[in-house]
Amino acid sequence: MMSTRALGLGSALRKAAFSPKIARSQVVRNIVAKRSIQTQSLPPSAAETILNKQRLLRPSSPHFTIYQPQLTWIASIANRITGVGLSVLLYGYALAYLVAPETFSSAVVVDFVAGLPDFVKYAGKTILAAPFAFHSWNGLRHLGWDMGKFVTIKGVYSTGYAVLGATAVSTVALVLL
Amino acid sequence: MQSLVTRSAASTWRSSSVRTFASSAARSQAVPTEKPVLQKEFKIYRWNPDEPAKKPTLQSYTIDLNQTGPMILDALIKIKNEIDPTLTFRRSCREGICGSCAMNINGQNTLACLCRIDRNPSKDTKIYPLPHMYIVKDLVPDLTNFYKQYKSIEPYLKNDNPPVGREFLQSQEDRKKLDGMYECILCACCSTSCPSYWWNQDEYLGPATLMAAYRWMADSRDSYTAQRKEKLQNEMSLYRCHTIFNCARTCPKGLNPAKAIAHIKMELAAD
Amino acid sequence: MSSAIVARAAFNKRIATAFTRQALRPLAVQQARTASTEAAEFKYVPGGPIYKGTVNDPTTFPPPSRTHGSYHWAFERLLSAGLIPLTAAAFVTSGSSFPILDGLLGVSLVMHSHIGFDAVLVDYLHPRKFPVLGPLLTWVLRATTATVLVGVYQFNTNDIGLTELISKVWHA
Repeated sequence: MMSTRALGLGSALRKAAFSPKIARSQVVRNIVAKRSIQTQSLPPSAAETILNKQRLLRPSSPHFTIYQPQLTWIASIANRITGVGLSVLLYGYALAYLVAPETFSSAVVVDFVAGLPDFVKYAGKTILAAPFAFHSWNGLRHLGWDMGKFVTIKGVYSTGYAVLGATAVSTVALVLL
Repeated sequence: MQSLVTRSAASTWRSSSVRTFASSAARSQAVPTEKPVLQKEFKIYRWNPDEPAKKPTLQSYTIDLNQTGPMILDALIKIKNEIDPTLTFRRSCREGICGSCAMNINGQNTLACLCRIDRNPSKDTKIYPLPHMYIVKDLVPDLTNFYKQYKSIEPYLKNDNPPVGREFLQSQEDRKKLDGMYECILCACCSTSCPSYWWNQDEYLGPATLMAAYRWMADSRDSYTAQRKEKLQNEMSLYRCHTIFNCARTCPKGLNPAKAIAHIKMELAAD
Repeated sequence: MSSAIVARAAFNKRIATAFTRQALRPLAVQQARTASTEAAEFKYVPGGPIYKGTVNDPTTFPPPSRTHGSYHWAFERLLSAGLIPLTAAAFVTSGSSFPILDGLLGVSLVMHSHIGFDAVLVDYLHPRKFPVLGPLLTWVLRATTATVLVGVYQFNTNDIGLTELISKVWHA
């Protein structure tokens, strides 16, 4: 008893003693084991197929929806949006003037604006002046970076807040001009 | 046998003595103070490739911060050990030098091992994998393309005329140019924080690879600077950088890839 | 006895090879077929999860072109920098008395806008990812910019010009 425990055979012997006679035969047990395990032979090239099959199932992780709003990228996308907005206005007016020079002549446009109520005028001026001011000041910031100035985190943030401040001040100034 | 009896007798005597002088003994011993329970909720991105049809979800785990180490990685390891062994993430050195545990924690890419847990129990901590990457499982992104891009810039010294019989010599000023670049551990935090890299990562190299490229352009011992620059002369590889600075903002090693890219652009324009 | 064994072995071998050849032929065909369907199934899509080459192959670079590289970048910066004095001048002068300056501002603004729109298209709608929409929008943008230039020219020659218009609208 002592020796079987030392060799770790105790449980195996006990199992053999209590199991039905047929399972005790070594041959039968080997066959049972072989039948229950199935392997598949694959060439090494199949690895890539398996990997590619899984790759096609992979989801893409979330990005701007979960990324912390930071002055860095919020200012950058704001620069793009304001630029596109102002450019669309420029393109739109130039095309409109080309198509119908009479309807969109400066005199008609100025008369139309002059007829608007004051609060619409001020709102419109703010909507135009704020993007223009931001895009201009932020453009200066970009030119500074492109010359190698303020390319540190401290520089980015101090110039960023400076741009926001300058935008606020110059928007007010432009609206009251 | 004799000794056993003596020992049990001694222990009986001690226990009785403790019972007798309980108050004074407790006062003289340094008893560890019981820490209050500080429950904190972690919401972690989960996706299992064995059930690919199931959409990725945020799974919530609550652990006691007073039984956890100070870093996010400690919390992840505790969750994996004690709550959910299927939670999958990469980690290795736990000291910010291997770059394995890069992930998006509370909206910012960083290394879990260098990021302290916010101990405010009323706010949950959200953990996502690196943004806009294909997910292998849970917090493990597929970085194959990132490594392939790193390889494409030939990140090693190239010089056809190495000095004979001695090592390369470099002035202290020239060596100084590599500071702030050679420390990069390629954790991919910067590249995956870059919106340009999100939209065009198959062609745009991204901040990590571009800083590595500049690290070899700036090396006085390398003689392939012109060829290295010529490779970047196209619309996509370099010039998708719009100087957003998410890279420098997020770098867990405090490096500045945006500055390196700004220098590449200036040098290319001066050529 | 021994020769008989050899003969039997040879016979067995011949049968075996014939059998394997027969058995393997459809397998080979089948393998070739799956390989071709796999190539279609695992096609490289720019930005997709399937990569070109193995994990050990570096990514490739587009053909070098300075017009798309540093020249484009430097031109864009010089143009933007040039807009600073032009804008400042537009604030202090009037368009009708300085038509050249006004025209220069108009053309510069349109080119600056064109480069900006183009950057948006390259970033979000690149032809490699949008083979129909990408080239289409690129050409639409080029045509529009050309037309807009004509429009700005018409407005500056036949009407009061951009600076004057903005100034008058602002004070209307």
